[in-house]
Amino acid sequence: MKTITVKSINDSSKSYQYVDNGEPMRGGVKDVFFSPDKKYVVAIFRDKLDFNQKERLQRITNHYLPQIQNKEAGDYYLNEVFRWPTDVIEHNGFIGVIVPIYNSKFFFKKGYETSDLIQGKEKNGKWFAGAKFRNPQFPLKVAKSELGDWLSYFQVCVNLTRGVKKMHAMGLAHSDLSYNNVLIDPVEKSACIIDLDGLVVPGMFAAEVIGTAEFIAPEVLSSKHLNKTDSNRKLPNRLTDLHALPVLIYMFLLHRHPLKGGKVHDLDTEKDDLLSMGEKAMFIEHPTDKTNRPKLAQGSKWDLPWADIVKLPYSVTGPYLKTLFDKVFIDGLHNPMQRPTAEEWEIALLKTTDLMQKCHNISCEQKWYVFDNTNTPKCPFCGTAHKGTLPVLDLYYQFKPTVWKPENHRLMVYKDQYLFQWHVNRNITRNEKITAEQKVPMGYFTFHNNKWVLVNQKLTSLKDVTEDREIPIGSMVELTDGKKLLLSKEDGGRVVVITMANK
Amino acid sequence: MRRLPVYFLLDTSGSMYGEPIQALNNALSGMVNTLRSDAQALDSLWISIITFDREVKEIVPLTELVSFQLPEITCPQSGPTNTGAGLDFVIQKVKKDVLKGSPTQKGDWKPLLFVFTDGKPSDIQLYREKTPEIKNLNFGAVVGCAAGHMANDEILKELTDNVVHLDSADSSTLKQFFKWVSETIEQGNKSQGTGEGVTLPPPPSEITVVI
Repeated sequence: MKTITVKSINDSSKSYQYVDNGEPMRGGVKDVFFSPDKKYVVAIFRDKLDFNQKERLQRITNHYLPQIQNKEAGDYYLNEVFRWPTDVIEHNGFIGVIVPIYNSKFFFKKGYETSDLIQGKEKNGKWFAGAKFRNPQFPLKVAKSELGDWLSYFQVCVNLTRGVKKMHAMGLAHSDLSYNNVLIDPVEKSACIIDLDGLVVPGMFAAEVIGTAEFIAPEVLSSKHLNKTDSNRKLPNRLTDLHALPVLIYMFLLHRHPLKGGKVHDLDTEKDDLLSMGEKAMFIEHPTDKTNRPKLAQGSKWDLPWADIVKLPYSVTGPYLKTLFDKVFIDGLHNPMQRPTAEEWEIALLKTTDLMQKCHNISCEQKWYVFDNTNTPKCPFCGTAHKGTLPVLDLYYQFKPTVWKPENHRLMVYKDQYLFQWHVNRNITRNEKITAEQKVPMGYFTFHNNKWVLVNQKLTSLKDVTEDREIPIGSMVELTDGKKLLLSKEDGGRVVVITMANK
Repeated sequence: MRRLPVYFLLDTSGSMYGEPIQALNNALSGMVNTLRSDAQALDSLWISIITFDREVKEIVPLTELVSFQLPEITCPQSGPTNTGAGLDFVIQKVKKDVLKGSPTQKGDWKPLLFVFTDGKPSDIQLYREKTPEIKNLNFGAVVGCAAGHMANDEILKELTDNVVHLDSADSSTLKQFFKWVSETIEQGNKSQGTGEGVTLPPPPSEITVVI
């Protein structure tokens, strides 16, 4: 055990220390050592780096890091979404990066339900993507207290999506997005993108890895036999990130892989795998071409119920996400330009949370589900039917005076559901730039004396249009079928139209 | 869906008696624990343990990692090293266990074989008959491990190009080796380089690889 001091190559006055106990954590290409105070790690590349690789790391720490720091929501990105390398060091001719330590929430408090084998280990995304580890019968299942509920994974995906959105906005591509390169905590609903030293800057630093199996875009796999200098060779870029991101989202929400179905393309396993993820890739839930449907009998019993696409089709993620999954896994699967952007995913995920209902079954493992747009809604996970009426609010915006158009945005009401500024006014976007003040609810919904009501807390110009009545702050308005409410008279203020479901 | 079958063929001949067999048991259980804390391994790995001395024994048939229970491996105080018979047994098992792809069924991943020995085959003729059969079976990788000064690297190299030599079969060396074995097994899901071909990770510095 010895403590080693290393110098920054960016700024020779800066030095760092790490403890070498002879057994570093081994990543794919780096050995990782902790600083004595455990505030950062020193991750040293096992192979010597060439000039370009060094240059890339310096660019990441000297150019892109301040760019995030100095822009809006810098703290959110650097403390929550990214573990961004902060400096580059050299030691005995080997190059390393300084990376802040992961937040303690990204280490298992309990780990497996029945053993302490992974207690204290990193919460790599793989633990939460697969179906096995959440199957109550699986001998090494992850503890219930670590898994969160279904709504947790929406917030997790929103954070990841924003990370990708930010990188793309800076002109960067992650190039190796996978469950191995993200840490997630469904309990605090956090996600963090790690291993950011391989970023691709188009035209400047090309990709060095093609990605991680299961996340590599079809065009990258189907051209991997070509030489890197061949113009038909496709390497990871922004558009391949836009394949990997939805694969992650699909896996975190449905705990199965969107392309791993039953279709056999070649009797040789390796060739079959290459074809089924590459050239011949096909969405397992393709609505008309059913050739790649998973064969449950050939799968692992531990992967149920999630492996069953009949019981839990991707449409349980709601209409906004279904539309995007269709775009990326059908239209855009072999046509990268058709893939939705990270921001489209962010918006769809957030809008979907407005469609959520709490399951009435207190022992339901998912606890939340997306309203299925039927008159008799029920939880797709445990089958429990919704009890009582269910107000559905459709949002409209003013297209021109007296003409209001639907926004394709719906808010489901449940007891103690809040109404926020981003519902009230279309000029306010729900994203990472929202201020603390804008996160204060404007009102809430509750079931009071057998009636659904909206209680006005902060809406200065709420009006019941149907009954032509102002609703001042501190009073409430009943929600009835067909009623229209104007949420705000200000520019961008919305009208909601109420429908009562499950009557 | 697809399984990754891994076969361990372990020498339990007389020379392993005493400290070496203890060390082997210890290292194996360390490896199983490492694998059992790896999400990827738990997703696809199936393990079988076969030993050979005078007899060949299937200690654990091919079993899913999550259900895998490692029994204590024992060895006689003396007796021959029937490596050839061991290989023959593995060949039969692989032919029977490993699912081949068919038009309606996805096949397993190519199996891996780790052969651990501290001596040289007593049944050298059978051994030489079986090595080409092993090569024809299309393993994902065959790794030979020769432990101690009595082990013969040259003969193992007839079986595979990947031969690791351990200077001794003591506990810490074996632990290092099996740590490397688990890294080799876990390799599949790491980021892939833009170059081609799957390579074994470099072995730990304490042991020598004979290529």
